[in-house]
Amino acid sequence: MSAADFLNLFIAAVLLAGVYAAMSVGMTIIYGVMKIVNLAHAGFLMLGAYFVFEAYDRFKIDPLLGVLLAFPVFFFIGMGVHWLLVRRIATSDQPTLTSLLLLFGVWLVLQNLGYLIWGNSDRAILTPRTLSSVEIGPISFPTIRLAVFIVAVASLVGLEFILHKTWFGRSVRALMQNKEAGQIVGVNVNRTAQIAFGVGIAFAGAAGGLLAMLYSFNPDFGASFQLRAFVIIVLGGLESFGGVAVGSLILALAETFVILILPASYQPAIAFSLLVVALIVLPEGIAGLWAKRRRWA
Amino acid sequence: MGQEAPVGVKEGADSGGSSVSRFVSVVVPLLLLASLAALPLASPSPNIIRLLFVTLTLVTASVGWNLIGGFAGQISFGFAVFYGLGAYTTALSINGGVPPLIAFLLGAIVAAVASLLIGLPTFRLKGPYFAIATIGVSEAVRVVMMNVPFTGGASGYRIIDKTRFVQSHHYYTALVLAVLAVGISILVRRSKLGLALIAIREDQDAASDLGVNPFVAKLLVHALAAALAGAAGGVYARYALFIDPDGVFAFRNGVAILLMPIIGGVGTIWGPVIGAFVYGLIHEEVVANFPQAHLLIFGSLLILIILFEPGGVVGLFKKFMRSLRARSSVGSHS
Amino acid sequence: MAPILKLKNLTRYFAGLAAVKDVSFDIEPGGLVGLIGPNGAGKTTLLSLIAGSLKPTSGKIEFEGENLAGAKSFRAVRAGIARTHQIPKPFRTMTVHENVEVGLRFGRHEKAAGTAKKAEEFLEMVGIAKLAQRPAFLLSVGDLKRLELARALAARPTLLLCDEICSGLTETESGLILRLLCDIRGAGTTILYVEHNLRAIMSVCDPVIVMNYGEKLAEGTPAAVQNDPSVIEAYIGKKATI
Repeated sequence: MSAADFLNLFIAAVLLAGVYAAMSVGMTIIYGVMKIVNLAHAGFLMLGAYFVFEAYDRFKIDPLLGVLLAFPVFFFIGMGVHWLLVRRIATSDQPTLTSLLLLFGVWLVLQNLGYLIWGNSDRAILTPRTLSSVEIGPISFPTIRLAVFIVAVASLVGLEFILHKTWFGRSVRALMQNKEAGQIVGVNVNRTAQIAFGVGIAFAGAAGGLLAMLYSFNPDFGASFQLRAFVIIVLGGLESFGGVAVGSLILALAETFVILILPASYQPAIAFSLLVVALIVLPEGIAGLWAKRRRWA
Repeated sequence: MGQEAPVGVKEGADSGGSSVSRFVSVVVPLLLLASLAALPLASPSPNIIRLLFVTLTLVTASVGWNLIGGFAGQISFGFAVFYGLGAYTTALSINGGVPPLIAFLLGAIVAAVASLLIGLPTFRLKGPYFAIATIGVSEAVRVVMMNVPFTGGASGYRIIDKTRFVQSHHYYTALVLAVLAVGISILVRRSKLGLALIAIREDQDAASDLGVNPFVAKLLVHALAAALAGAAGGVYARYALFIDPDGVFAFRNGVAILLMPIIGGVGTIWGPVIGAFVYGLIHEEVVANFPQAHLLIFGSLLILIILFEPGGVVGLFKKFMRSLRARSSVGSHS
Repeated sequence: MAPILKLKNLTRYFAGLAAVKDVSFDIEPGGLVGLIGPNGAGKTTLLSLIAGSLKPTSGKIEFEGENLAGAKSFRAVRAGIARTHQIPKPFRTMTVHENVEVGLRFGRHEKAAGTAKKAEEFLEMVGIAKLAQRPAFLLSVGDLKRLELARALAARPTLLLCDEICSGLTETESGLILRLLCDIRGAGTTILYVEHNLRAIMSVCDPVIVMNYGEKLAEGTPAAVQNDPSVIEAYIGKKATI
């Protein structure tokens, strides 16, 4: 394999990692603040995909713009879901079975809604951009992947900004570290939780739109990406944003380069196997490993 | 401490036990069993027998899941893997000339062994990580089975059953298996293992601090649960005569196996049985009349149960009994 | 007689902070040893290490000649160590009786016959016998503490680790528990007792060990320890020199 080939694969993996990170960060926020594993994440990925699709198909809105629109729309959807359902269950410092099952139920409902509204068939978002590619010397990659990568990274940067420079972000980080201490210093837990849930779903919807620009989709769409999000979060630790970046890169690299060894139909199994192996070797994710390093001081 | 009883509080606690509840929990199941056993003699339509057959296999899987998910509190989303392994093992065995009963047993054994392989690494994981891992394992096995040519891959696998098809044979097999499953469930619940499992569910660290070995207990009950799910898959396979990975290893099967005990009352003896019947009958109705709304209905049901009555049908029943008792004691003071 | 428990250079770090550092002491069989120290001194961590709930970073724990460092807590129970928890950890959906049953059936002597009767005895000892059929999640903190003790006792330990079992109890209830501890000790169980109530400790324990910042500060009779300048400094502070 030539150097150019290798570089091409590598760049493809990095571009993919960006999108994967945007896809997973939503779960991290929700888990970090509320200790809830959002199994409905897949459903919102799927809805995001259809949202951007419809925006393009009916209203001729450029998909990238559609993704940006998805942020506020899904933010309010997320806040709504929280108000309607999530706030009614008790949460604690440990993830609860109740929250797991509740959001699982939401996922089932969303999946079915998808089927009812859009039916079974595969859709795809095809723009002139989809077919063109960027070429720099021997390296080439589809323009769409670059565009998606840029939007993904931009949104992650935006999230970092929110987390570190705004009041809300500080509350989130406080609650992620110690919920009781946060309450004592005056963080409004319920408000922050609701907003955090909204942000998490916003990222799910927008990421779904981004993914829809790369892959064809149907109402089952979210499931395989949800599993990838799990892998990423497990690799990176459920509560670490840096970990999400690392995990995304690892998964993207594994998926991209494994095509050299195994036939394509096994590809879905990569994510699953990586997940299981990761859980066995790193029960607390890479972030846990990082934390452990300090223990030997 | 809140006054709302958490899911799993034993019925009758702190009131010296209710004789009505005890009566109900013995007589009703016996009546049910008797009617189920006598049913084929009344020559109902084959469709009804088929429906009940499937429901009875669901009872076995549901009761099995409840051993590890309800008693021990280890929520597995991936029980389809055991159901599927049991189905394929039984199918392969029957085609290999093995008598059906042995084939079912082999299915159960393979599933149990798989549960040890899966449990050893995954039981170290905390709550959500464990649940996620079970999804990963189940789906990984499904994808692998889709690609393995030996068992037919995605096209599925056919059983060539040389014996004549007698529907009631299959029906009674499923019934006996279901009764066996419930029997095992009752035995486990009343045994030392059952005590250990509930202690582990409530607080694994405290259980260990009192001498319970959580690893052995979890692995043991997981194997039992997997064996039951595997047997259920095997019994189904022999009836259906055709199985495929997208059918038996489907994630939605794992969902169903999880949903049934929750609907009926997770952690109780009869909850999984009730839940299996509710699910089996609703499933049939839904698929017949609202095939498009299958997940919607079950998803909403799950949401409603979680929000309003986490104890499922059994929980509702207990609340009802308690309100009756309260009302009767109020009356006696007047 | 050989010490029933020997700790040698026991250490436990949590991400760079030493919760327990180089702690060594012996406990003679039949002793009622008190363990005191300001908040955060590492007393509960030390108990957790001995009980096997936590793994030490380094050091030795020798119980009746057997090295238990790193063994999980259920192994320690089989060997004869049982503990109570500072923050009670009841099995919430079980009744009080069933909670004790767990200790009874999985503790050091495992007998199936006569289990039910014996559980009542332990409930009687700590004074919550009338709560036997009550689900644990309904109990008050004081009753939960007593349940902790009953459960641990039901495991028939030769070494009992008590973590602040008198907090949340009235004066009378505490007195009952202290008398109970002396009775148990008289019947042959060795006890390591962590407590904040200094009067309680000083009245029944001998020797007393003092910890601060994860290290052993002092060890001796109650009188000796009370007059130890470093102990006084730890609790009250040094006399200011202006």
